[in-house]
Amino acid sequence: MKKKILIIDDDPAVVDYLTTLFEDNGYAACSAMTAQDGLKRAQKERPDLITLDLELPDEWGPRFYRKLSSDKELKNTPVIVISGLSGNKYAVSKAVASLSKPFDRDELLKIVKENV
Amino acid sequence: MFKKILFATSATEACDHAARVAFDMAQRYNAHIDVFHVLGIPSRGYSQVVVDVKTGDEVALDDNYRDLVKEEIRTYYDHQIAKTKNWSIDVAIGLPHREILRIARLMKPDMIVMGGSTGASGSYAHKKIVTGSTFQRVAKAAHCPVLVINRPAGSFWGGFSNVVFGTDFSNAADTAFEFAFKLVKELNCDFHIFHALDITGFQMNNLHTQDYIEDQIQKAGRQLRFKYISKMENFKDYAMEVWEGIPFVEIVKYAREKHADLIVMAYNTKKTDEKDASIGSVAEQVILRANCPVISINRSVGK
Repeated sequence: MKKKILIIDDDPAVVDYLTTLFEDNGYAACSAMTAQDGLKRAQKERPDLITLDLELPDEWGPRFYRKLSSDKELKNTPVIVISGLSGNKYAVSKAVASLSKPFDRDELLKIVKENV
Repeated sequence: MFKKILFATSATEACDHAARVAFDMAQRYNAHIDVFHVLGIPSRGYSQVVVDVKTGDEVALDDNYRDLVKEEIRTYYDHQIAKTKNWSIDVAIGLPHREILRIARLMKPDMIVMGGSTGASGSYAHKKIVTGSTFQRVAKAAHCPVLVINRPAGSFWGGFSNVVFGTDFSNAADTAFEFAFKLVKELNCDFHIFHALDITGFQMNNLHTQDYIEDQIQKAGRQLRFKYISKMENFKDYAMEVWEGIPFVEIVKYAREKHADLIVMAYNTKKTDEKDASIGSVAEQVILRANCPVISINRSVGK
């Protein structure tokens, strides 16, 4: 069964790009454009990994992560922060990695492979 | 709770993360934000020739120059101002800490928001080992809480809902507690009351037994309950913990562990000279290192 990745980003171009990238590399992908929707999708889909933008329309990434980590079923889901904001590396301290946009697709795939 | 915010800024990259929090607070809590910038220091007393704090150039000060700087600040924060209802921009000349304290006395804000030290334009204070001297002087003398965001990572929360109050049981900590408790009640936050037991004597061969350390932890726990529970009446969303270690490290770790979006602490140091304060109060080290905004409160707040 394919490993599933949840993409949380409010930029449709980034969502499209990541969806294609993950699907082309043998993963299943689903997405959400807000933190609230992201949490619902995570609870429903039980993804093996989440990519998280820091600046979402309804909430900032660290607050989303706080909610995620208080859910017993989801708290160990690896999260990769993908953001264009400076300082993003330290924003979610328990993220498995943080990448700045524009990011290197090979680096992202390598991190995903290591964590799912 | 936050109706008037004074955002003291160098209007450079060093204050971008503080701006993110200040404008977010203004929008979220429907507050008025005054963007305040000290544009220059007079080259001599009452001189109209000032040294521009951003460029380091000597400039002749007139209304045109003030307007020009205001417009520059307006443009710099255009993105955030566009989403903010109540805002103003003020500029002043003089020593930054004096002017910030002066306008704070006049404006009586609920909160002063600052970035870390600016130093040379574009540099970040977290790369230094001490907080900015402007911050130290403002934090020591301000009559209102001072919120500092030193690391960009501390600016990605948006609002307050999970607050850590760090106490050393001092009188200043009592003032800080009053503010923190008022904040958590009004904003319906989770409240984490924390004391760090200082065991740094360990590094000076003052090795305690584990029984002694755990006795001290229990004693501090009793002190926490005795001091604060009665003040919280029917409020239930609180937790109390004592950890042993290096106090500022433990507070930063505790806040990270609890996913805190705000730390409230007393600012105790009497020293404002950068050299003397470089080893710093616990609050200063927490400000430098925290992953969330830190509010420091001195004893004169609210008096």
